[in-house]
Amino acid sequence: MTAEEKSILAVFADIDPAADAIEQLRLLGVHDDCMNVISGIPVTEAMLGRPSQWTNVPRLALGGAIAGFLVGVFLSFITPDMYTILVGGQPFTPVPPAVIVVFEMTMLGMLLSTFLGVFLDSYFPSYRPMKYIPEISDGKIAILIECPPPDEQKVTDLLKKLGAESVQLTEAQHL
Amino acid sequence: MADNQNRNGVAHDNGSHEEHFREKHLMLDPMPRGKMNEMVMDAMHTTSWKFWLVFGMLAALVAYALFYKWGVMILEGLGVAGVNRPAYWGIFLVNTVFWIGISHAGTFISAILRVFKAEYRRPFTRAAELMTTFGLIQAGFSIFMHMGRVWLSYWLMPIPNQRELWPNFHSPLSWDLLAITTYLLGSTMYLFLPLIPDLAMARDRSDGWRKTFYKVLALGFRGTEGEWVHLRNAMNIFAFAIIPVMFSVHTIVSWDFAMATRPGWSSTVFGPYFVIGALHSGMGAVVMVLAVVRGTMKNMKYFIRPEHFEAIGKLMLIISMSWGYFFFNDYLVQWYGGDKWTKQLLHWHEAGPMGWMWFAMLLFNVVIPWGVLWNRKWRSMPWLLFTVGLLINVGMWFERYIIIPISLTINRMPFTWRLYEPGIEVWLGIGTLAFFILLYMAASKLIPLIPVWEVQEGQMAHSLKKFGRETVVTVSELE
Repeated sequence: MTAEEKSILAVFADIDPAADAIEQLRLLGVHDDCMNVISGIPVTEAMLGRPSQWTNVPRLALGGAIAGFLVGVFLSFITPDMYTILVGGQPFTPVPPAVIVVFEMTMLGMLLSTFLGVFLDSYFPSYRPMKYIPEISDGKIAILIECPPPDEQKVTDLLKKLGAESVQLTEAQHL
Repeated sequence: MADNQNRNGVAHDNGSHEEHFREKHLMLDPMPRGKMNEMVMDAMHTTSWKFWLVFGMLAALVAYALFYKWGVMILEGLGVAGVNRPAYWGIFLVNTVFWIGISHAGTFISAILRVFKAEYRRPFTRAAELMTTFGLIQAGFSIFMHMGRVWLSYWLMPIPNQRELWPNFHSPLSWDLLAITTYLLGSTMYLFLPLIPDLAMARDRSDGWRKTFYKVLALGFRGTEGEWVHLRNAMNIFAFAIIPVMFSVHTIVSWDFAMATRPGWSSTVFGPYFVIGALHSGMGAVVMVLAVVRGTMKNMKYFIRPEHFEAIGKLMLIISMSWGYFFFNDYLVQWYGGDKWTKQLLHWHEAGPMGWMWFAMLLFNVVIPWGVLWNRKWRSMPWLLFTVGLLINVGMWFERYIIIPISLTINRMPFTWRLYEPGIEVWLGIGTLAFFILLYMAASKLIPLIPVWEVQEGQMAHSLKKFGRETVVTVSELE
């Protein structure tokens, strides 16, 4: 669906009617992929009866930790051998100080990749027009439904019947 | 027992009992989200002439004490500072340790309380997290001042120099760079992630330059299922990962001292002792900030209540006791060790010309907190907690002063003994304090200090339930 196309945006005041609406929409033949829930607070998929959302953030965090670990190993064990200077007979690569460097770099890698993971998974930053209404950040729960035009009236009637505060055809606009 | 009596036999009706709960606990006193958003936005936009007066004075102080004086020191050299043999480490390092300590409370309050699901944390996590970032900035300034030739600070970075030598990663100073950098970046990202939904809220309620400002920072956040899941996962990872980083930072700072074989410094207990000391001053600073925010910003009395001071007061008491324990442990072992120089140093701490500072340290860090914080009513009073927090911070600054320049006064070479007399560094220290407050004041007008979505989430999770004749608070696990 392109940004110019319109979707139905139904706004609910509470979780219960929103969850009921999702269930009824599903019975009406609206696939889960054609629905998106937008809310001002995190509402879990289980509460809404929605399929689990996939996130790459933990995997990216792990990847970042491994990369950071390798950078730490490089700094602690490889760089001292690049230009060797013997100082007081001390070893070039003692393990205890290396643990500190490796720990810090591992954590830095993990934290940076977790942060970047949110950006990658959420497509942040995104300043293009989007389907949204500001009431959502007032704690409302909105269901964004993409359905073929012939079904629009049917879906709208159902949502109103299920307690939606407002049901409107919405198009993408600058936030 | 009659229906309208609780288990203590105190008569009440259920309505007034519930009303009492609501007055006392923010989580049981919900308001519509829109109203809370409005209150937080109103607090940001309402600025009195007093604010601008203080802001202007602080800005002038920063310009003079921090930047002008630092410029003088860069031009004249470190000779204008009081650091000299034998106390090469003076107020610059005292302030570095002090500011890193302040920065600890933000993470402690936000991450540890989040991990343990302490619900009272919700309204003030951001106020504490801001302290972490702004405190670390001052710590960074203090280190750069201490370097003297600040333009060569890139030598610390992990890049080879012209002789193809890399920094010495066996040195605690290199560990410092890595740990403080990790902590500064980590805590700034940890501050930003939960801020995104509130920035989106502010974007939806602003116009003009503020709209553009929030729009850019909110990154296009709408609150879709996917965005919340990614954010939640990231915040959980951060909450767990930032805790060991926090502990590592101040442990490594302590190793700057403990790795040296100097009397008074070479101590295996310095790591946890420094961490507890950091939390001690940091918690004191948090409570001061909260008291000021509550007392000076519009609508904040709804969000920050005596229950929050009471809860933080309990933590402060535990931390004060832990600090007392570690202080005694460090003191006893060194005193019992029998090293002639260490004994002389410990005697010098309490009986030397700066002995008043040693006794003031114990008074402010132990005697006064223990005397006040044991009492629930007293520790619920914002002004009293502010006073205790202030005294703890003075006491902890004294502690760092005793550990660093005073301990350097006495060493194994009596011909070098000389009491440290600070010079320009006093102004520079005042400058960092003014800059910290200035940054905080600016932030209070630019970003929502209250994480409204977290407060609403908490209010949804809390309810009152009757068990027999008693009404109790219950909390649901929403995550």
